[in-house]
Amino acid sequence: MDWLQAFLPLNLERLSVWIGVLCTLAIYSLLYRENPIYRFFEHMYIGLAAGYSLGPLGVDILYRYWIEPIWIQGYWAWAFVVPYGMYLYFIFSERYGWISRIVIGTLIGASAGLFFQEFSSRYLPQLNSTLQKPLWVSDANPDLTYGMIINNILFVIILLSVLTYFTFSYEQRGPVKRVAIWGRWFLMIGLGAIFGNTVMARMALLIGRIYYLLNDWLMIRVGGG
Amino acid sequence: MLSVDRRWLYLILFVNIVIFLLAPLRMPASISPPVQKFYDEIEKLQPGDLVMISSNWSASTLAENQPQLEAVITHLMRKQARFTIISIEAQSRDISYRLAERITKEKGYQYGEQWAHFGFVPNLAVAIKGMVTDLPNTIKQDVRGIEVTKLPVVQGVKSLSDYKMIIDVTPSGTVPVWISYSPKNVKILYCPTSVMAAEAYTYLDSGQIKGMITGAKGAQEYEQLLGIKGLGAPFANTISFSHLLIIFFILLGNFAMLMNRLQARREA
Repeated sequence: MDWLQAFLPLNLERLSVWIGVLCTLAIYSLLYRENPIYRFFEHMYIGLAAGYSLGPLGVDILYRYWIEPIWIQGYWAWAFVVPYGMYLYFIFSERYGWISRIVIGTLIGASAGLFFQEFSSRYLPQLNSTLQKPLWVSDANPDLTYGMIINNILFVIILLSVLTYFTFSYEQRGPVKRVAIWGRWFLMIGLGAIFGNTVMARMALLIGRIYYLLNDWLMIRVGGG
Repeated sequence: MLSVDRRWLYLILFVNIVIFLLAPLRMPASISPPVQKFYDEIEKLQPGDLVMISSNWSASTLAENQPQLEAVITHLMRKQARFTIISIEAQSRDISYRLAERITKEKGYQYGEQWAHFGFVPNLAVAIKGMVTDLPNTIKQDVRGIEVTKLPVVQGVKSLSDYKMIIDVTPSGTVPVWISYSPKNVKILYCPTSVMAAEAYTYLDSGQIKGMITGAKGAQEYEQLLGIKGLGAPFANTISFSHLLIIFFILLGNFAMLMNRLQARREA
């Protein structure tokens, strides 16, 4: 009896769980066949997700970083920031479309500036790490094991063959073509591993939803715990 | 056999998942090197060290990111480390806050004193650059509306450089942004969903990230290292048995197709 009382949507918290269950089942009803209930909930979900994001945007961003500095701290110059950003919408006007290019130019300039830092921080350490891979034991690296040496040699072979595959400046013939074919095979193996992980991730999505049905709705503890 | 309605396969998969989620089955997992490195890095933390958790997942990737975040917070509390959470996903702001509040309450961790949630920021690159220059002025308030300067957990913190570690729990490609713009003295650890993990091995190999927990499988390994019973183990076991079922379906389908072809050839 206690379980039934806790299970039924008699308070706001339980009602939200029941609505969540209804949405989940409606979305999964597509697996049976295409139906209007699925379509309705699909559209509702997209609208809800967009609407939900507006809340945090209003409270955490617009209020905190724009309205509050202007009204409370008196930084009146900030008042020009949002109208300036909104010039972007002139893109829909044939006559005043040029105004939007000022904002686009600012965005491109900022992105290009950020990319300089991104390139040096993101890719240079990888190049450095690749060039520093020891391929044989020496005094400089006495702790190197045979397993690590094989791993490093494989790394370099795969890297060079994949780079050869992506060299399009001249016609690939003879040994270069053979190396490029190896590069393609290595790429396929890599993509296969990524696809395997994708299957695992998609399965986890389904498990997450079934966990919600069992744990939150039916209040059954998962994993026998 | 080839004419079996695919909906029967969906039903069998659903029943299979329910059975293995409910079964009191906790199979041991072998610990992979990225998970071991992750664990070792957190073990090196001293009491009072400050950690930034970037939590960017929502309900859709709950099965992978929730066990990861639970295990990570549990470990940080065990090490008596202080931590702050930040989200670049609007839904994640509420989900991660509620989850952290539940776990910390169970262990008596004080909000504001030992942990805090910085809320939602929309542009990670800009937010990181702001936090590197001036953290209190970039974040301004926490999720409860308290000014960051009044939070004891980040008392005296001027910049992201004052942190020891960044832990990115995410289903999106946010870790390259952390790598690109965060200070070089701050270590980065990564908790991706399985689909994102393959691309991250380059960062792991170059040392740009110091450890990685991959999806529910990684969470299962981490729970085993911590000696706790979390959601990682039942989720990872269920994934394993679902994969076995799918492999069985693929083999069965191929076998049926082969038999059909043989029969057609015989009849011809």
